[in-house]
Amino acid sequence: MERYLEFAGVGKAFPGVQALDDISFRAQSGRVLALLGENGAGKSTLLKIMSGDLRADTGSVILNGETVSFTSPFDAIKAGISVIYQERQLIPAMNVMENIFLGDLPVKSGLIDAKKLKSDTKALLEKFGLSIDPEIPVMFLSTAHQQMVEIIKAYRRNSQVVAFDEPTAPLTDTEIEILFKLIGQLRDEGKIIIYVSHRMAEIFQVTDEIVILKDGKFVKTLNTSETDEQELVRSMVGRDIGDTYSHLSRNDSMGDVLLEVKNLASPYVRDVSFTLRRGEIIGFAGLVGSGRTEVMRALFGADPVLSGEIKLDGRSVSFKTPKDAIDSGIALCPEDRKEQGLVLWRSIEDNICMPVLSKLRKGLFLDTKACERVALSSIKRYDIKTPTVDKIVMELSGGNQQKVILGRWTSELMDTKILILDEPTKGIDVGTKAEIYQTVCDFAKLGIGVIFISSELTEVINVADRIIVMHEGHITGSVTREEATEESILALAMAQ
Amino acid sequence: MNVTRVTGINKIIRSKAFTLFALLIVLFVLFAIIAPFNNGARFITQRTIIGILQDIAVPAFLTIGAGCLMVSGAIDLSQARIGALSGMVVAVAIKNWQLPWFAAIAAALLISALIGLINAALVNELNFQPFIATMSMSSVVYAVMYLVATDKSGQLQGVINYKSPTVALIGNYEIGGVVPVSVVFLVVMFIIYGVVLSKTKFGKTLYLMGGNATAARLSGINSKKTSYFLFINCAALSGISGVLYSSRTQQGSLLALANDQFTGLTAAILGGISFGGGSGGMGGAFLGLVVIKTFNKGMTIVGANSYLTSVLSGSLLLAALSLDYVSQRRQRKRVGI
Repeated sequence: MERYLEFAGVGKAFPGVQALDDISFRAQSGRVLALLGENGAGKSTLLKIMSGDLRADTGSVILNGETVSFTSPFDAIKAGISVIYQERQLIPAMNVMENIFLGDLPVKSGLIDAKKLKSDTKALLEKFGLSIDPEIPVMFLSTAHQQMVEIIKAYRRNSQVVAFDEPTAPLTDTEIEILFKLIGQLRDEGKIIIYVSHRMAEIFQVTDEIVILKDGKFVKTLNTSETDEQELVRSMVGRDIGDTYSHLSRNDSMGDVLLEVKNLASPYVRDVSFTLRRGEIIGFAGLVGSGRTEVMRALFGADPVLSGEIKLDGRSVSFKTPKDAIDSGIALCPEDRKEQGLVLWRSIEDNICMPVLSKLRKGLFLDTKACERVALSSIKRYDIKTPTVDKIVMELSGGNQQKVILGRWTSELMDTKILILDEPTKGIDVGTKAEIYQTVCDFAKLGIGVIFISSELTEVINVADRIIVMHEGHITGSVTREEATEESILALAMAQ
Repeated sequence: MNVTRVTGINKIIRSKAFTLFALLIVLFVLFAIIAPFNNGARFITQRTIIGILQDIAVPAFLTIGAGCLMVSGAIDLSQARIGALSGMVVAVAIKNWQLPWFAAIAAALLISALIGLINAALVNELNFQPFIATMSMSSVVYAVMYLVATDKSGQLQGVINYKSPTVALIGNYEIGGVVPVSVVFLVVMFIIYGVVLSKTKFGKTLYLMGGNATAARLSGINSKKTSYFLFINCAALSGISGVLYSSRTQQGSLLALANDQFTGLTAAILGGISFGGGSGGMGGAFLGLVVIKTFNKGMTIVGANSYLTSVLSGSLLLAALSLDYVSQRRQRKRVGI
């Protein structure tokens, strides 16, 4: 019997966005299928439907000819579908063998059969050539080893389908080799493998066929051996990249020096010096964990400053709390919108008015009319798609949520001089990204100094006037937009 | 595009207060029907209504304090013990220290507020979870009560009786011989706190902190100052509960408020202030409290035994929480998380 996993006309809508629209394709056993698409193309939603986290509005998922329908991740696991997410789904304090056999521990006369548990785990680890101590709690393992444990857990459950969501993101090159060997082994055993990744090189290395999604729609299936990178990019984006940036209307008149940071050190960064002019956009590039965010946190009064000097408008300043920084005209749009930026279950109005509540008082009370006016003007300015000012932010799409934060820091009552944007386009669709780039340039035109942090090299190179590159907590270089290439930035980021 | 607010009848119907009000009416109708079977007792009388309001008076201040803290995402488990200590201080101050009534009450409230300050310091300076800090504080306060209640000969007095007609008036005086002054006071307090929560910058701050403390701090909200105020406020209000209790019973007791240990929390949760913070309000909490006390009163009038009352009131809370959970899950499902 032929084994396969098929999506037949799968559709899923969230408020304001059709995340998946009539998706149909088939993944064969013994082959690795790549799911490729930009952020917001619908890959994660598809994985979530597969794993029972979400239910499709329309269409069906068919496993070996049988329509399956899951109400919970547990159902999906029982049916033999395992999804390995970026976030680990292990119990940190439990050891390797307990995690692998979780929910199905071998029992002898009512007690856990520790001997069998250990020998079975050892056998599994040996089979895949892994040298991991079965008795060590998984929280002491490296990210790579934790991932392996998770893969073996899926294998042990006799999963027919194993899906990987960006599995290589946290791994080093050697670890990636081991992962690919593991995936190869699973494939040769006839598993159905779905592989989600943004990294082109990997896709060519490890997959057999490629399904391309765009804006929630199925574009095409390609054989990996018969295509090339250009074709993939064209199908994903639907046009040539580069367009977005050449159409930007930039600020061409920079002002005097606004911010001067000298030898700044915090518990996480050291010896950081740079200047920012009025109307200038500086980009901060570097690998994840290089200290870009931490520089901004120190600057913003969210982390303690150990030494060094910060001069704002030529005047030496020191901020004890974010409030001090905000009062001096510095605004921060944090990296993690949902965790640090927004109060998700409150209204758009509340989220926009947050830092200016003191200016919205009428006597003892809040001036509700003024609050609404401020919120409305930001909603209009950024074209936030909402029927009401009191819609809760949770219900907005990622792009509109980001606009709410921009709206907060540039509302009519704010006097923002410096705007720090930490990964402002993360998880945002292409169309909104372009809008945000233009917005950033518009800020510069207004004389605001913008600090733009991004992990997407193309983006940071094309939007910023100057790019500062960080590596392990300090600055390794600074290049102008004209000089910058992806290669040169990457070399600095890896301190080569 | 017309960007405005959701207003009007829809908003009212969807609100927690509306549900609770409906529940209250159901309770009244049910008890009115059942009561006559218990030797012809009647439920809907002026006496019952006043009785319910009087039962509300003591835990009302616990509810206000707990409600404000919970909106901001914190909790205080030492409320009842602080109240009991406060009552004990009033009794000891009048009987043993020979202080005038106003000085006794001032001392009680000051000590309560001080305990709140310590709670706040534990949470904000030493980064204790509010749950742990206030639970431990509850034990400490109980021990302090023992010290206060031990007389010069080293004899512990679990109950200290005193006589102060002035203090007694606070809990018992009835305006026009009908409306207890304590009830007027509690209604005024609920209104004041309700307005503060819903109409002022300070109130908005609590909701934002409760909704996402990190985001609030990064948006320039001084969470620490607010947290200090809330813990002190909650403890001082618990102190008022204790004074009221002591005034009515004319005693300080180690076991004062023991029955109302979780009433404040329960009323707040029933009224729609979620455990994690960021939602609900004083109107809901007030109605939650009225529902609890109406239920208890009704069960007494229909002659149900106290175990059954406990079981049913527990079930009522569980049912309310389940409803909340279901509606929240539906909301989450709808937005895809």
